[in-house]
Amino acid sequence: MTNRIDRRQFLMGSSALVAAGAAGVMPSWAQDANLRLTFWGGQARADRTYGVTDLYTAAKGGSIEGEFLAWNDYWPKLATQTAGGNAPDVIQMDYRYIVEYAKRNAIAPLDEFIGGVLKLDDFDADQLEGGKVDGKLYGISLGANSVATLINTAAFEEAGIEPPTNAWTYAELREKGEAFAAANIRNGMKMMSDGSGVEPMLDNWLRQKGLALYTADGKLGFGADEMVEWFTLWNGLRDAGVIVLMEDQALDTGPLESSMLVTGKSALMPSNSNQLVGFQALVQDKLDMCGYPRLEAGSGGGHYRKPSMFFSIAGSSASKEAATEFVSYFVNDVEAGKILGVERGIPCSATVRDAVAPTLDEANQIALNFVANLGDLLGALPPPPPAAAGEIDISLLRTLSQEVGFGARSAEDAGAYFVTEATAILDRAS
Amino acid sequence: MTARSLESGAPARERAASPSLWARIWQNDAPGYLFLLPWLIGFFGLTIGPIITSLYLSFTDFDLLTSPDWVGADNYIRMFTNDPKFWASMRVTMVFVIFSVPLKLAFALAVAMLLNRGMRGLPLYRALFYLPSLLGASVAIAILWRQIFARDGLVNDFLSIFGIVGPSWISSPQYSLWTLIILAVWQFGSPMIIFLAGLRQIPQDMYEAASLDGAGKWRQFVKITLPLLTPVVFFNAIIQTIEAFKSFTPAFIISGGTGNPINSTLFYTLYLYQEAFGFFRMGYASALAWVLLALVGVFTAFSFLTSKYWVHYDD
Repeated sequence: MTNRIDRRQFLMGSSALVAAGAAGVMPSWAQDANLRLTFWGGQARADRTYGVTDLYTAAKGGSIEGEFLAWNDYWPKLATQTAGGNAPDVIQMDYRYIVEYAKRNAIAPLDEFIGGVLKLDDFDADQLEGGKVDGKLYGISLGANSVATLINTAAFEEAGIEPPTNAWTYAELREKGEAFAAANIRNGMKMMSDGSGVEPMLDNWLRQKGLALYTADGKLGFGADEMVEWFTLWNGLRDAGVIVLMEDQALDTGPLESSMLVTGKSALMPSNSNQLVGFQALVQDKLDMCGYPRLEAGSGGGHYRKPSMFFSIAGSSASKEAATEFVSYFVNDVEAGKILGVERGIPCSATVRDAVAPTLDEANQIALNFVANLGDLLGALPPPPPAAAGEIDISLLRTLSQEVGFGARSAEDAGAYFVTEATAILDRAS
Repeated sequence: MTARSLESGAPARERAASPSLWARIWQNDAPGYLFLLPWLIGFFGLTIGPIITSLYLSFTDFDLLTSPDWVGADNYIRMFTNDPKFWASMRVTMVFVIFSVPLKLAFALAVAMLLNRGMRGLPLYRALFYLPSLLGASVAIAILWRQIFARDGLVNDFLSIFGIVGPSWISSPQYSLWTLIILAVWQFGSPMIIFLAGLRQIPQDMYEAASLDGAGKWRQFVKITLPLLTPVVFFNAIIQTIEAFKSFTPAFIISGGTGNPINSTLFYTLYLYQEAFGFFRMGYASALAWVLLALVGVFTAFSFLTSKYWVHYDD
C-alpha cells in the first residue's frame, strides 16, 4: 500500500519546524520492503508518482510511504530531516543541490548497484553524466527537459495574434505584445508575465551573448552592464504594456496556482518543458510551448537539455539496495513510464521513450516534441551552480526585479547593486 | 561507658529519623513530582535543552548538514554592522508591533464595553467575536486575506461602489504590511475576553455614585473604568506585544515565505526562518533568535518598570 501526506496536511502542521518535529518522533521503520519517498511538485505529479508506487508495491510487496511538497517548502524540510538523520530513503534531488548533498554524504553514491539492481543499459549517457559528482553517480535523472515559454493558445486566438514559435526574438516579443495589449482581451490580459526576476530566463539571455550566469569555478559570469541592460529591457516591455504590472507579478509566490498563466493575467510565461503537463491540469485553455525568445533572428545556444530532476538515495538509508531497485524500476519499467508520461521530463531510457511516445496525450506529446526538436537553440550543459546561487536568486534577483518593477530603484542602480551583492554572497559562501 | 552509650545512641536516632524523612518525602512530594514528570521531561528536554543548544549554535557556523565550527561573536557582529536585511526586518516588525498592539487593544476594549451592557444572547456574541482569534493565525485565513485584499478582491469591490479604484493591496509595497496589521487587529478576541472579565470586576455603585454627581459617560470612562482597568490593560499589552514580536504565519503564507513585495512584509521571524531553513545558516539564525529574545525581554522589563506610574492596583 502507499501512504501519502499532501501539502495541505503538511501546512496544517503550520510550519516546517512543527512538521519536522512530528516526523522526528515517527519510528523510521526502514526495513527492506518499506521505503519512504519524498518529492516536490503539484497534484498532477503526485497522482502519477503514486500510480507507479502502487504498481511497484502490488508486484513486489512491501510499502512505499510518499510525501510531496511545493518547491519552497521542500528544501527546508529535507534539510531538517537530513540533519536529524531521518531523511526519506528516496529523495527527489535538483541539479542545484546535488553537489552540496553529495559532498556532505547526505546522499549515497550508487555505483556499486550498477548492473545489479540498477539497470542503466539503454540510459542516455548525457543524462547519466548530469547525475555525477566527482565521477561518482549520486542521482538518476528522471527525465530531460529544457526551459520553455508556455503559451495559452486560446488567448492568442481571441486577440487575433499568431502565437510565437521557436524562431521568435525579443523584438518580436515587444511587437506582438503591443498588439496583444491593443486587442484588450479578458479584462486587460497582458501577453507575458514579468521575466526580469526569472533566473533561467536571465541565464538563457546571457548564454546567447556568449556569457554565463556562473563560471565553472563558481564566480559570477557577467558584469553590471549586462544587468543594467537586462532590467532596462524589461522596463521597456513593462512601459509598453507587453508584460503584467509588478503588483500582479508580485502575487506569484511560487505555487503553479499563483502564477500569471493560471490566474489568467498573461498568455505567455517562462517555465520548463516538463511543466506544461502540470500547468495544463490547472488551465482550461489549451497550452502549447516554444523556446525562450532569441536575442536576434538566428542567435541560439541559450537552451540546454538538462536532467529536470533526479532520484537520489539518502546516505542514512538503511535499505539503499531496495531503494535503488525501486528507482531502477521507476526509470526503466515501460508500464511505469506510461503512467509517468513526460511530466518529469523526457524519459532517459530509450526503451521507455519508444514505448511511451505513442501512448502520450496531447500535452505530453507537445513537451516530448519540443525537447526533441530544439535544433540550434541547444547549447552545452553549464556546470552545476555554486551553493550560494539559490540565495542570489531568491534574496537578490527577485527582490531587485520587484524594486525596479515598482519603480523603487533605477535599472542602473539595480545592476550595480546586484553585482556587488552577488559577489559578496559568493565570497561569504566560499 | 557514658561515651559509648552516647556514640551508640546517636546513630540509633539517625536510623530512626532517616526512614521517616524519606518516607515523608516519598509520601508527600513524590506523587506531585511524578504527576509533573511529563511536563518536566518536556520542559527540560524540549524547551530548556534546545534553548541552550541554540545559544551555543549562535556562536557557530552550523549549516544543518555539517558539524558546527566555533566562530565567536562573528554572527552578532555581522548582524549589527553588515546586514541591511536585518535592519529591514527589524523595521517591519517594529512598525507591526507599534501599530497593531495599541489598535488591537483599543478595538478589543471597545467591543468588550459594548458587550458589557448586559445584552441578550451575550454568550453567542462573545463566542462570535472570539472566533477570529481561533482562526486568525491559521493558514486558511491567511489565504482568505490574500483574496480579500487582491486587486479584484472584496475590499476593492466595496470601494468601487464609491467609484474608487483600489490597488492590489496585498502585493503593493506601500500597503502590504497594513493588510497584516489589520489581520492582527481583527484577532482581538482574547484581549476582549480578558477586558470583559475586568469590566465585570468594577463595582456598579461607583458608576451610580458618579452619575448622581453629574459625571457623563466619557468622564465615567476616563475616571472610573480606565483607572480600574489598568492592571488588565497592562497584562494584555505585555501578552499582545510578545505575540506581535513572534508573529510569523500570516506573513509567511501571504508572501509565500518571501517577505515580498520588496521585503515589505519581511518580519523578523520570517527573516530568521529564511536564514535557517532557506539558506541553512542555523548559526546565524540562532543568533537572530537570541537578539529577538533580548529585545522582547527589554520591552517587557521596560513595561514592568513604568507600570508603577500608570497601573493602579486596588489595595
